[in-house]
Amino acid sequence: MAEAVIVARQFDDAEQQRRASDLGMWVFLATEILFFGGLFVAYTATRLHDPQAFATASRLTNVTLGSINTGVLLTSSLTMALAVRATKLGLRRASIGFLCATAALGIAFLGIKFTEYVRDWHERLVPVLNFAHVGPHAGGVETFFYLYFFTTGLHAIHLIIGIATVAVVATMAARRRFSPDYFTPVELTGLYWHLVDVVWIFLYPLLYLVART
Amino acid sequence: MISHPVPPARTYVLVWVALLALLLVTLGSAYVPLGRINAAINLAIAATKALLVVFFFMHLRSAHSMLRIAATAGFFWLAILVGLSLTDFAVRY
Repeated sequence: MAEAVIVARQFDDAEQQRRASDLGMWVFLATEILFFGGLFVAYTATRLHDPQAFATASRLTNVTLGSINTGVLLTSSLTMALAVRATKLGLRRASIGFLCATAALGIAFLGIKFTEYVRDWHERLVPVLNFAHVGPHAGGVETFFYLYFFTTGLHAIHLIIGIATVAVVATMAARRRFSPDYFTPVELTGLYWHLVDVVWIFLYPLLYLVART
Repeated sequence: MISHPVPPARTYVLVWVALLALLLVTLGSAYVPLGRINAAINLAIAATKALLVVFFFMHLRSAHSMLRIAATAGFFWLAILVGLSLTDFAVRY
């Protein structure tokens, strides 16, 4: 067993301290939900304004890479949940292994996303820089791709922060900083990681599956 | 030592299998021409996947009621944001 949990003066005990951390994290996650929520509202409003354009634009996205990436991210949430579980049980090696797997899957997601961006560039779908789609709905298609790059880009930034945080807690785990009594950093990193996954769960059908028939 | 409830690894694996199955269903349904129903199916499946992640991976199922209130508040305010923003579209089209 590692050293006893240090309880800050304002808390009665370690359990109250842990609950306060969880609560603080969920309040932060609520702000993240509203942060991304604004973008989802912008998406809905513009899609209702020109549904045909969004159908056309969605066909131009790469559904194969998008679907594979969704599977990669869902799997990373499994390894993250197993990492938190292993940490709570005091299984240090398993915990480090699952954290490394989570970071690796996150990096794989970013790699696939980058491949997609390169293809989008070659297909001249990048607004402002090289957008060249023509047709009756070109304006709406460009709006879709503004939202596509902004939402997936913002999601990628969140994922980069998540990967960095996972790397930090993996290092802490390797230095024996956690025990079945103290695992707050791993748990909070897990909550953040899963929320970034939830954001993608909604982005996937809205960007890739608007009209495939 | 405080006891923290730890679900068996099998629970997490089953949730993951369900998530991947739902991914395949949503992808497959997109290729069936159903008109507006397609979007409804996609959103319903996304919401189901999100609830699976939130309840099992984020432990909201067994969480302290304070956490549930905080989490619900986030989604409640999101509903206000979406709902009030779209009232304009409800009367315009």
